[in-house]
Amino acid sequence: MGSAQVRQTSKGKLPRWLTSEHPLPWLFPVTSILVVFGLYPVLYSLWLSFYKRNPATRTEKFLPSWNWNKLIGDERVWDAVTVTFTYAAIALTIQLVLGMLIALLLDSDRRGFGLFRALMTLPLVVPPAVTGMMFLLMYDSSFGVISNALYSLNLLSPDHPILGSGSTALWGVIVADVWQWTPFMVLIMLAGLRALPKEPFEAASIDGATAFQSFFFLTLPMMSKIIALAVLVRGIDLFRIFDYVKVMTDSGPGTATETLTAYAGTVYFKSANFSYASTVALATLILVLVVSTVFIKVFKIRF
Amino acid sequence: MPSSASKSVLRYLVSIFVVAVFVFPIAWFALTSIKPISAVFNKDRVVVFDFKPTFDNYRVTVLGGEKENLVGGQSASMGTSGKGAYDGRGSIMSSLIIAVSSTFLATFLALLAAYALSRMKFWGSQGYLNWVLSQRFLPPVAIIIPLVFIFHDLGLRDTHLGIIIAHTLINIPIALLLLKSFFDDVPIEIDQAAMIDGATRFQCFYLVVLPMIRGGIAATAVLCFIFSWTEFILSLFLTNTIRTIPVKITTFVTSTGSEWGYISALGTAAIIPGFIFILLVQNHLVRGLTMGAIKD
Repeated sequence: MGSAQVRQTSKGKLPRWLTSEHPLPWLFPVTSILVVFGLYPVLYSLWLSFYKRNPATRTEKFLPSWNWNKLIGDERVWDAVTVTFTYAAIALTIQLVLGMLIALLLDSDRRGFGLFRALMTLPLVVPPAVTGMMFLLMYDSSFGVISNALYSLNLLSPDHPILGSGSTALWGVIVADVWQWTPFMVLIMLAGLRALPKEPFEAASIDGATAFQSFFFLTLPMMSKIIALAVLVRGIDLFRIFDYVKVMTDSGPGTATETLTAYAGTVYFKSANFSYASTVALATLILVLVVSTVFIKVFKIRF
Repeated sequence: MPSSASKSVLRYLVSIFVVAVFVFPIAWFALTSIKPISAVFNKDRVVVFDFKPTFDNYRVTVLGGEKENLVGGQSASMGTSGKGAYDGRGSIMSSLIIAVSSTFLATFLALLAAYALSRMKFWGSQGYLNWVLSQRFLPPVAIIIPLVFIFHDLGLRDTHLGIIIAHTLINIPIALLLLKSFFDDVPIEIDQAAMIDGATRFQCFYLVVLPMIRGGIAATAVLCFIFSWTEFILSLFLTNTIRTIPVKITTFVTSTGSEWGYISALGTAAIIPGFIFILLVQNHLVRGLTMGAIKD
């Protein structure tokens, strides 16, 4: 289609760098943005983390190990690591299991299921901050629809607001995350299910395999790559969780829902200790990079 | 099989229930946005449908109307009372400007890089891709503090351009990997044929290959738009007066109470563009969300 057009366009009118065969001009704009606003800030963070801030005089002094030692000895950091891992593990497990079940449920060509699948994608486009608001409204201890439903089922007492009690606050945030991101898993699992070859399942059912057997011995192993990928993409986002916590609980009550990113934000906003905030933020980055690199290597994921 | 009919009815019912559970929070939010204050803040019971619908919340937040004086009325919160504090027009405008510009920038720049990475085999290309991917995994907090300083020095703090750059930054890795997967679908023989016919690299890219992946570019642009539209943490840190919608909404929550009517109205309005767009790209959604790793 294009070749006739191409021949008519005169050569040489375009600037030299655009006609080059070298990849550099093609990669240059993207690379420069990623370096200036992505890589440089990380190095800047690292450099900041080498300075000790004196809150009284508001000055900084070069002491490379100070903040990192403080980080290791900071109990709040370890609490935040625990909260982050707990949050990520619980949310990921629920989303994975629910996502698979719902995908199996909606994987049908009958009338109406296309609409069901389309409706399932809607939570994905809600801004997470708005999601947080939606759940805040539904959790409200006096007029929240979820709280009132739980009251009438005797599962919750009005003295213990969902997000105001240390024992339930994290669950409250996880529910919002599960609501928003289970559809992500459903979509990926559906794509996986639809790509499965038919023959092994026909053979298995002729040999008398039950539905459970073909699910566990055929579907799951054949989808392992896709499941690993879904876990990776979702898992990293869970480690970076910030929006829900900030909007819904602001790390509270106390530090019951304080994740690493939220703690970094708190240090930044409340104590203006930029060096230490950078150190905590870098710790999150290191954690994410280590976990994801190991995961990519183990499951041999390629993009 | 005698039970197959009842099985399929059961499957319908369970599916409807599951979908309803996932749609409910949005529906409830939208419903709240047209409730009068007395129905939202009813402390005795949860008001579901028995209220007189009002569009007052939209009038104030989306159209910038005056907030009604509620002397003797039932206002549960005193909240921010400054004039125009609940006027969301500025934030809608900001969100639109930022989302459209950063989508355009990210898609355009990523197209160039994705084409090169798909077509030219050069030393370090896999390493380059891995580096781009690692940018996708970067927690925003890790760069946010230096970005505040850098933006301050460059005069980008609290400007539209600043947030546009920040959103372009987070969208480039996604757009690049996704577009590369679309370019990879086009056989390289097409480029070779075009170049034998005398096309330059750029002509081959612009006139031959680009039109073939139009659908993919549209899907990429839609996803970039949604990511920018919904982004929160960078906009929160990098602005004071220019507020994108997600950040603006959180200012409606105050220590004395939350203006649920206004929150739900602006929130519902903020969801609508995403709904329309995501229904347009259903075909490429999975590929987009996995950055091209799963092809649909």
